Amino acid sequence: MAQVHGWLFRIAFVCLACLSAAPQASAATPLDVILNEENASKKIITAPTIDDLSFLRRLSVDMIGRIPTLDEIKEYEAWPAAERRGMLVDKLLKADGFADRWTVFMADLLRIRTNSDGGAAEMAFVHKSVKEGMPYDVLCQQLITAVGKAGKIPEVGFVLNDNADPMALAGTAAQVFMGVRIACAQCHDHPFDVWTREQFYGMAAYFGKTQRREIDFTKSVYAIETDGTRVKWPPEGLAPEAERKAMIPAFPFDLKLDAAAPQQEVRLVALRKAQADELARIESGKSASLDELLTAASTKVQSNNFGKTEQFDVAGEAKKAARDLKVDKDLYNQSQLRSELARYITHPRNRYFSRAFVNRVWADLMGRGIVEPIDDFSDNNPPSHDKTLNYLADEFVAGGYDLRNIIKLVVMSDAYQRGHLYEVELQQRKASEEAFAANPVRRMLAETMFDSVVAAGHLFAQKHAAGDNLKTIKEIVQVPVDLEGKPAAGSILTQLQGQGTGAAMGAAMGGGAMAAATGGGGSYDLESAIEVDFNAVLAMAKKDEPKVEQMMVSEEDQSARMLAEEQGRRKKYIDQVVERQIDDNPVFASAMRMASPAPPAHFLRVFGQPARDQLGDHRDHSPSMRQALMMLNGKMTHEASRVGKLEPIYPLLVGKKADLDAAVKLAYREILTREPSGDELADAKSVIAEAATPVDGMADLRWVLFNSHEFRFVP
Amino acid sequence: MSHGCRGYQMNRRSMLGTSLAAGSFLGLNLQSLVARAGTDRKATAEHVILFWNSGGMSHIDTFDPKPGRPTQGDFNPIDTSVSGVQISELFPKVAKQMHHVALMRSIAGVNGDHGRGTYQLQTSYNTFPNLRHPGLGNIAANELEQIGDLPSFVSISGQGTRAGYLGQKNEAFYVGVPGEKDPYLAFPEGIAQLRGNKRLEALQKMNSRFVSDAPSVEFTATETATKDAVQLMRSPALKAFELDNETEVNRDRYGRTAFGRGCMVARRLVEEGVRFVQVNRGGFDTHYNAFPAMQAHGETMDPAMASLIEDLADSGKLDSTLIIMLSEFGRTPKINKDAGRDHHAGVFTVFMAGGGIKGGTVVGSSDEDGYKPKDRPVQVADIHASVCYALGIDPNKEVLTPLQRPLKLVDNGKPVMELFS
Repeated sequence: MAQVHGWLFRIAFVCLACLSAAPQASAATPLDVILNEENASKKIITAPTIDDLSFLRRLSVDMIGRIPTLDEIKEYEAWPAAERRGMLVDKLLKADGFADRWTVFMADLLRIRTNSDGGAAEMAFVHKSVKEGMPYDVLCQQLITAVGKAGKIPEVGFVLNDNADPMALAGTAAQVFMGVRIACAQCHDHPFDVWTREQFYGMAAYFGKTQRREIDFTKSVYAIETDGTRVKWPPEGLAPEAERKAMIPAFPFDLKLDAAAPQQEVRLVALRKAQADELARIESGKSASLDELLTAASTKVQSNNFGKTEQFDVAGEAKKAARDLKVDKDLYNQSQLRSELARYITHPRNRYFSRAFVNRVWADLMGRGIVEPIDDFSDNNPPSHDKTLNYLADEFVAGGYDLRNIIKLVVMSDAYQRGHLYEVELQQRKASEEAFAANPVRRMLAETMFDSVVAAGHLFAQKHAAGDNLKTIKEIVQVPVDLEGKPAAGSILTQLQGQGTGAAMGAAMGGGAMAAATGGGGSYDLESAIEVDFNAVLAMAKKDEPKVEQMMVSEEDQSARMLAEEQGRRKKYIDQVVERQIDDNPVFASAMRMASPAPPAHFLRVFGQPARDQLGDHRDHSPSMRQALMMLNGKMTHEASRVGKLEPIYPLLVGKKADLDAAVKLAYREILTREPSGDELADAKSVIAEAATPVDGMADLRWVLFNSHEFRFVP
Repeated sequence: MSHGCRGYQMNRRSMLGTSLAAGSFLGLNLQSLVARAGTDRKATAEHVILFWNSGGMSHIDTFDPKPGRPTQGDFNPIDTSVSGVQISELFPKVAKQMHHVALMRSIAGVNGDHGRGTYQLQTSYNTFPNLRHPGLGNIAANELEQIGDLPSFVSISGQGTRAGYLGQKNEAFYVGVPGEKDPYLAFPEGIAQLRGNKRLEALQKMNSRFVSDAPSVEFTATETATKDAVQLMRSPALKAFELDNETEVNRDRYGRTAFGRGCMVARRLVEEGVRFVQVNRGGFDTHYNAFPAMQAHGETMDPAMASLIEDLADSGKLDSTLIIMLSEFGRTPKINKDAGRDHHAGVFTVFMAGGGIKGGTVVGSSDEDGYKPKDRPVQVADIHASVCYALGIDPNKEVLTPLQRPLKLVDNGKPVMELFS
């Protein structure tokens, strides 16, 4: 199309498209009906629905955290056109990658740090809960109420994350679980909101008896419940110490528990009763408390069929769910105060709880929350689409607080499946995006981008034949020496020689040790990291050991410890140059399972993974020079681009069956999930022709595709 | 702490609605453009080298000795090139440069905890929910024009302060191991210059085709980042990161340690125009056996710092380069049962040199045992205000956060004017 008229043409195209958009996808879902109602008076342009391959790419990125592989593209294309989107949604909801990808979401929400006390175990626990479909309210109850040893009781990671400080926990519980920023009210009545300092203290009082306890000798950390409270009223300094009284815990919202149950609660109760009945029938003779049932229940309830609202088969679904049940009889000592708080927070009548969560899910999938910032619900910051938000929240409650349920609701909507309006004038475009009538620019998450490069570059497994990449490298390592100056046994040196590569240092990290990406083999490897083995972490937590260790330690033990530390400090190190031959046939692990957050200069952090140490510290997706350097020159992009003999593309480049057109098409499908245009094919072939060999040329082409805008921005 | 919130109240409502549409997630940081203009007072310094000593460095064992007191510890004071000013014997070479140095011995800290102390000493602010304040390096990068090809803010041997609401573009450029080649600054191993350049051309073509179909401002920012990266990769200024040309004599003078190499790189970066260099070093949390640890710190720091000051002075660059050493707090005057010192925020010392400060100045003093400020207490934010003052940045300039909350660059600090002539 001619340059001058291009823009006008596109506008015309878009408008035509919006007239004809509706029939392309499924009929409007109830969600769309409500959203469209709320948009009725707005002057917006509705973007056309994206094509099938774009949908495959977008959905894969959002659901399993990477772009689709060649096989996945083929499978999808073989499905009947009218059904393939729905089939894909169902398939990806069940995929292993789903739990990994949405654990990242949960870890951001809960600010899980694998190197904090009990953080790795908490992460593994949350991963398991996502995988098994533990209802979100149950998960939250467990996190809020847990007591015990870090790593041993995975859930205590949540309380320990804030050092079990009542004030910090009050702010966290309100903001993380309810999207309400009351932390400001710690020091003064909230200036523009309704929160008073007294309300904040009332909230904090639920955590008043909670304490972090570290056992000096073993360095084990516990979250414990004490008898006295640390939260007193009036605040320190406002009254003589003697007049400060234990603050009475008070939940800041009136949940109207005396009124008749709202619809979503009625549906939830019916659902759970059906589940409980079913379980009781299966386990007849045994008595199980409702809590146990709920804890173990895996609800996969479908409250909604897309295109039409209908009766949902609670009993049938519950039967199905109950068959998967394994009741974990391990009940932990729980804090009475925190149990009460957990009940309030997760109560079906607490719309703050359900709205805060569905808003975050929506924001993750749509590129923007109905409330922004996603954790700042307040009268001064009303939702852009109140009814849509309420609909999602109520469906979330009625469907048993099931993550998959709410994701399905969103991704099957027309709203999710809309394209971009890049061509449209900025102000108009923004208006459309804010109305969710067009998809905003959305870069892949750091972890997703990482895994997508690794997947499309065939780096999850070795792609070069053994011995193809032999090279000799020199390294300076620090070696501890014994008294005679000889390297001590078990030193870094011996480890290196024994294992070949530093990446093998993986293993489980119960206590939560985290290897800096800058340690080990090279000072500048900012792309690899230690993987957390979720199963091993949880297995370690299951091991038998005394529930509470001896708190008092004998004098002898103390002095033995100090002696050991003393010797540790006196240890001498020498630098040694190690030369070794390696077969550089790299394999990358999924970023979803790396110890996280990664060290600050790591690929994931540079691309926006949050530090997870502060409230409201959300992902920053803005570009930076460091990101560019990572992608242009990093080892991962480089290795992903290089062609290995074991890759399917190799025979298309070398030998009798070489077929350059087919090779280029394959590269486009693998990296961009689409066919190249005629111009692109020609360009690609000239890139390859200019290189020394077709194999080098393909590496050049793939490097270009990995670095392109189209790769990193979600279609 | 209440001031920030009240400002928020007045401004947020009036500004919500008009603004967010255009910028926040594009990385354009339009908000900072709205901020009030700074002062046009002439700067006394163009560059800063910040030594960040993590763990809490003892003031008594370094720059605020207490001879003859029970809190003295193992080290004796020594005379310096400034008559009447003594420092610890750990720093014999630095002592000879004292005429370039100023000490503030009456910093009245409040946070005796690593997390909170670090946060305040790095940002001037106390931790606050839902806010990440920028550090001095990020402020310098945001407020001052970049000189030359190198990034404005470079952090050596560890992470620089976070940019917070000043955005990704003001994050520190990271140098992991000073003197070691950074592989991210050149095409990957095995990709020759010619081939790498061809790749870039092909990439440019591909992206311009994409952008012509999708003419959207968001992609411009990504392209700018790539252009900056390529410009940096091609810049002769990159030599500043390398130590190959440093003489053996120089390597010995600075000391053959990571810190010595860090100081050499810092000097080279400043000479190349870098605005702010942060050199990180840990190991100051000396709860046990403090004195051997401090002895080792002295052996590492003294030659490097003294050589740095000397070389910058010789090249004339010291006048425009402010050197400052910060740590999250001092350490207890009382020596504990493990022959260590514990956290002590009540008073500690800040070391500065060059950058237009009056050499040989000592501001304030601590009491006879080093527990509290005796006179002229200096608040933590005053340190940051002083650095801003030296750089010609108005510490009270307000910047809007992404939530449209106006915040001063520095938390109400006042420049310590005794430092400046």
